[in-house]
Amino acid sequence: MDMESFPEQTEQTAPAIPVHAGVLKTCGACFLGMLVPGLGHAILRKWDRALVFMGSITAMFMFGLCLNARLFNPDFSDIFAILKFLAEAGSGLLYWLCWLRGLGSGAPAVYTYDFGNVFIYTAGLLNMLVVVDAFDIALGRKP
Amino acid sequence: MNDHFLLMVIYSALVSLVFAFIAKNDARQRGKYFLYLFCCFVLLSVLVGWIMFPFPI
Repeated sequence: MDMESFPEQTEQTAPAIPVHAGVLKTCGACFLGMLVPGLGHAILRKWDRALVFMGSITAMFMFGLCLNARLFNPDFSDIFAILKFLAEAGSGLLYWLCWLRGLGSGAPAVYTYDFGNVFIYTAGLLNMLVVVDAFDIALGRKP
Repeated sequence: MNDHFLLMVIYSALVSLVFAFIAKNDARQRGKYFLYLFCCFVLLSVLVGWIMFPFPI
């Protein structure tokens, strides 16, 4: 059986070999990605993802603040307080800067309080997922 | 901004956008996946809302 009977096989290009970004770049991408949403992807030169992640997560966080959500203090007294704090702190500097400035005091009586909290929890949790994505890209597990 | 549905649509759009960019690499695939996720979010939320009307939790 000659190779001419399978021309499509001979014309195929080899799949791109994933490249490991290096330990320093991987750690830097994860660390900076935790601080600022999308910055880890920007370091890895994934500009489209970086812009979308930065825009979406920042918008969710700001929407939450505008909806009178509460930024929970670092409180380790019970499991729900820990989970709420971790979910919000996942946004990185967005959370810490706003918390230090005293924003997000929360108004439970306001109609949109719960909506705002969900927006801020989700922004933090999505940023954690985005950091894992940056880690996978840096290790060459995905393009 | 007190409209439940509008807030749910904004939430769905932002989350779907992030998921689409995490899960897919091609622009066309991202667009299709974004629409799929967005429709699932909105339609299932409305459906669950109607189910909760006769069976409130």
